[in-house]
Amino acid sequence: MSKYLEKFSRMRTIIADNGGLINSIKTIYRTDELKSGRLVGEDGFGNKYYENKSYFMGRSRWVDYSLAVNLDYDASQVPPEWHRWLHYIADEPPTEAQLVKRKWMINHSENPTGTDKIYVPYSTVKPKVQAWSPPSK
Amino acid sequence: MATLKLFCARKTVDSVLKHVIRPTTAIQSRSTWKDVGEQPKKMDWASLADRSANTAFAVELLKGMGITLAMMFKEPATINYPFEKGPLSPRFRGEHALRRYPSGEERCIACKLCEAICPAQAITIEAETRADGSRRTTRYDIDMTKCIYCGFCQEACPVDAIVEGPNFEYATETREELLYNKEKLLNNGDKWEIEIAANLQADYLYR
Repeated sequence: MSKYLEKFSRMRTIIADNGGLINSIKTIYRTDELKSGRLVGEDGFGNKYYENKSYFMGRSRWVDYSLAVNLDYDASQVPPEWHRWLHYIADEPPTEAQLVKRKWMINHSENPTGTDKIYVPYSTVKPKVQAWSPPSK
Repeated sequence: MATLKLFCARKTVDSVLKHVIRPTTAIQSRSTWKDVGEQPKKMDWASLADRSANTAFAVELLKGMGITLAMMFKEPATINYPFEKGPLSPRFRGEHALRRYPSGEERCIACKLCEAICPAQAITIEAETRADGSRRTTRYDIDMTKCIYCGFCQEACPVDAIVEGPNFEYATETREELLYNKEKLLNNGDKWEIEIAANLQADYLYR
């Protein structure tokens, strides 16, 4: 019996961590999942990163995408420094790791496909053959 | 004839081995066994009543649903992808990027080794001498729809210019968007260098 009571109390803790019943239902609607963990950090886009080692590896680190994007969250919205931690490549999050930022590096942007910022391929060299323009008399 | 005799002798020895010697080498006792085949149904009144009740109340269906219900309370074995992501290696071969030196100077010297080694022939390079006299590429195209992500290009590169970065979330809606040119590759490098450099640093002892 105590086993089930423990599960019930854990559920209450998780709901409390997610900010009450209404907010928990909203979170489930947005992320299909209700979890509680330690807030590790937040990136410049407003994405929050959590960790809870009691889940198995693969579920133990997760990102809560910024509320600004609402349901238009995308996996490519995670910037590279957090990408490294979220994919378990690094043990330490970028808040602790010393990642070198140089001035020519550009800010992260999400995958632009399907938007008006789409990449269109173009040639970076001059055409080898020039069209002949007839001399005018 | 002698050959035939020899052949027959071999067959005889074979059958002797099979039927005489082999049973003596078996050490496993097979005196106990259990029939796992279908048993004839018991037809006494108690068994009949039990079976009819099981059928009438759909007990087997309910047992199956009970297992389904139990699985709903188990910890899922899958990950909730865009929020949780699977583990990657620092050597992961994803989207290509052209790197720069810490000064901001592009690394690629247009040696065309990557173009030569590419088994899918996805890379096209054209080179020219730049105004300051250094040899640089004017065209560095990778057809990402041809690429097989073997990583030979980054192995071949003498200056660590072309690398396969850790990004794999660059799926596009049209094919054209995957025909990367030099600008796009350098942009990728500028965007992902912070992680590419850290991954190379994490792995340099094993290369």
